[in-house]
Amino acid sequence: MRKVAMLAAALALVAAPAGAYKLVAHGARVAVAKSEMTIDPPIDWNRQQSRPGRNAEAWTLDGIPLNEVTFYGGIEGGKALFKEVDKKNKPLPVFKSTMLTPDVVQLFEASYRIAGGSSLFEVGAVEPAEFAGHKGFRFRYAFTLEGEEVKRLGEGAGAVVGGKLWLITYEAPAIHYFDHNLADYRALVASARIPGPQVTVE
Amino acid sequence: MIRAFGAALALLAAAPAPAADQVTPIGAGWQPTDKDERGLWLEVDELERKLRTSAFVMRDPALNAYVRGVFCRLVGEAACAPVRIYILRTPVFNAGMYPTGMMVINSGLLLRMRSEAQLAAILGHEYTHYTNRHVIQGFRDLKRKTSVMTWLALVPVGGYAVAAALTVAQLGMIASVFTFSRGMETEADAGSVPLMQKAGYDPAAAWRVWEQLRAEQDATAAARQRKSRKDADGGMFNTHPPTAERLAALKELAAKHPLGGPADDGAVRYAAALRPWWPALVDDQVKLNDFGATDFVLGKLAEDGWTPDLLYARGELYRSHGDLAQAAGFYRQATEAPGAPPEAWRGLGIVALRSGDEDGGRAALGTYLKLKPDAADRSMIAMMAGETN
Amino acid sequence: MGSRLIAALAALLLVIPGAALAKIKADETFVFPAGKPVRIIFFRPDVKVGSLGVGSVEEPNADWTAAARAKLTAEVAANQKAAGNEIVFMPEQEGDNAQIVADYQALFRVVAGAIAQHKMFPGASLPTKAERFDWTLGPGAAKLGEIGGGDYALFVSTHDAYGTAGRKVAQLLFAGMFGGFIPAGIHSSYAALVDLRTGNIVWFNVDPGSGGDVRTDEGATKRIGQLLNKFPSAAPHAAEPAPAPAQ
Repeated sequence: MRKVAMLAAALALVAAPAGAYKLVAHGARVAVAKSEMTIDPPIDWNRQQSRPGRNAEAWTLDGIPLNEVTFYGGIEGGKALFKEVDKKNKPLPVFKSTMLTPDVVQLFEASYRIAGGSSLFEVGAVEPAEFAGHKGFRFRYAFTLEGEEVKRLGEGAGAVVGGKLWLITYEAPAIHYFDHNLADYRALVASARIPGPQVTVE
Repeated sequence: MIRAFGAALALLAAAPAPAADQVTPIGAGWQPTDKDERGLWLEVDELERKLRTSAFVMRDPALNAYVRGVFCRLVGEAACAPVRIYILRTPVFNAGMYPTGMMVINSGLLLRMRSEAQLAAILGHEYTHYTNRHVIQGFRDLKRKTSVMTWLALVPVGGYAVAAALTVAQLGMIASVFTFSRGMETEADAGSVPLMQKAGYDPAAAWRVWEQLRAEQDATAAARQRKSRKDADGGMFNTHPPTAERLAALKELAAKHPLGGPADDGAVRYAAALRPWWPALVDDQVKLNDFGATDFVLGKLAEDGWTPDLLYARGELYRSHGDLAQAAGFYRQATEAPGAPPEAWRGLGIVALRSGDEDGGRAALGTYLKLKPDAADRSMIAMMAGETN
Repeated sequence: MGSRLIAALAALLLVIPGAALAKIKADETFVFPAGKPVRIIFFRPDVKVGSLGVGSVEEPNADWTAAARAKLTAEVAANQKAAGNEIVFMPEQEGDNAQIVADYQALFRVVAGAIAQHKMFPGASLPTKAERFDWTLGPGAAKLGEIGGGDYALFVSTHDAYGTAGRKVAQLLFAGMFGGFIPAGIHSSYAALVDLRTGNIVWFNVDPGSGGDVRTDEGATKRIGQLLNKFPSAAPHAAEPAPAPAQ
């Protein structure tokens, strides 16, 4: 999510050059976001070594500002989705385990508005959908970040299971990029497994 | 970066400009010849070029026509004709007018105005900064006092304060941020009141606007349990710190410029013009996750009565704050009045479900779907309402 | 985003003098298809010129910036004419076309940033693209070709900040006291060529330590000469079949 801050952080990359991005090879199931969520990618991806949050992890194909898949692994009640930008003046909202889908979508939107410094955020369709074998949701969104004029589209999929939030989002510029790898993102979501009893969804 | 603002403003306030620096007021078609000012104009032109295609500019023709109409009524057709007005979508309160004749108004400001007269007060204030060329004065003051800091460096963007990197949403701060000493603010206040009187707006609207804003700062701080920043050179209002002195001065000015006849505050016209955008702008405010400020803003807007829209907004605020019981109350009140937004039933339904009231929750969600069959979240809400598609 | 890219490059320079940065290799096999005139649309360049003070605080100088933009633009035109390419300036647009051009320029800056980051800093390489160079604006970029009247797009961005007298003194002091290094200023540039039929970036050159004082005609000539050095050439006109254009 921190696309705009990325290049300013180039300095940090030079300071710790090794492993800024690691290969996630296709065909092997891996744990993501320092959690029990596992993903089995059909194609190779690049994992960003510095994580957006304690239980979040970002992957990309061409560069985070061009296509970004973010995994949120079991966010607990009381925790924000990602690292605070300015905790004192602009604290991020936190997840609550009783949240229903509309609350979760709102949490996501508010988090982006605050961290992204922009009111240009719209939520599109919100639908029930199976996620990792659980009853969950899928939603679409569109936004523009502070400091840039690139219109981006996003899709998110997730579920609240065992009082924790599991979420995978995909964002890319509306021009060309979003459509181009949408199927690759959906394949990652389809492969997702999280702990908890599997429920059959009608 | 906010500290940088404060430091710069303090420097400006500390020493008035020498007499030689006084500038002659601006008129239409005026062009800069001085090197400093030419440079400033080039930067601002570059800024305006970005605004022309920026995603952050609100382009709704009706809203733009309304705001422009208020400005033209205030300063006269001849003066307003060459002015370009850009409304930026950002919940941050601010407005500014650049020396090139470009006016920038934030949607956060439009949300907080309760009448056309209040909007006119702000526009008149910014217009006076412009006509009295405060921007270039302040720019020169700043350059003289400190060679290290730059006027653009005052805007909080990374450490690389170049116009291209500036948040478009923050740009509304430039004209007002770095330039204005207390003397200049007083001048701008003094200029705005006669303009309002001439245009038939109640001059008392001016001090009321600043008083509201000052009180909002307090509310924000209280909710975050910190010292209010209204008198410090920081926070959202550091560009126009509404000090107690200024409020007093404005009250005096209003008394000295009474209207001949009945005061026109245009509150009804203003509400009608903002109506189509109002829910989105309130949403922008609620989603800042600033409970104190938002609760305050809603309360102030509700001083003439809690409309169903305001009650719904309050429900949203309390729900996002985790206070489900209170939220339910506000949503319910909203739904009991005519003209309530369908989302009020959605909010009621969500809160009911979260509190364990399955039947009540489903019923309310069902009503939402009936009232808004084309809702984007229809499919999710239908599932929650127990409806099969 | 262009300014953020350049800011990051500048930041890099401030920390690691003479850092060995990887040369970005765009598609080196790319040549312009034989037998057709090459029409390149030159977009309004991103140009920033200012001064750099003691605390690395940058002060923009609008006069320098405007002058540099004019000189660099003229120099690009001259350079391309000399190369035998037809160059047109993307004219100022109105309405929807203005938005399309602005949207693609915004996207390009982001793509350029990603290219520079992942191809210039060895430590930030993307494993799946370590041996590849395939970044694109997408086939929708053909619209730009229609609007501007060309088959290729040339983007140029330069960022210069000249050290003030105060900074020069600090440089000497700092170097003397700690044997350290403060670079005199910021001088970074990049240029890219986009094939508008596909939207692919077919050529990219970035230089965080650009030469030439862009405030002067000679300097602008030197800068553009460096930046467009090894610009793709047209396939040779000869009896043998022309090499196939790169995908």
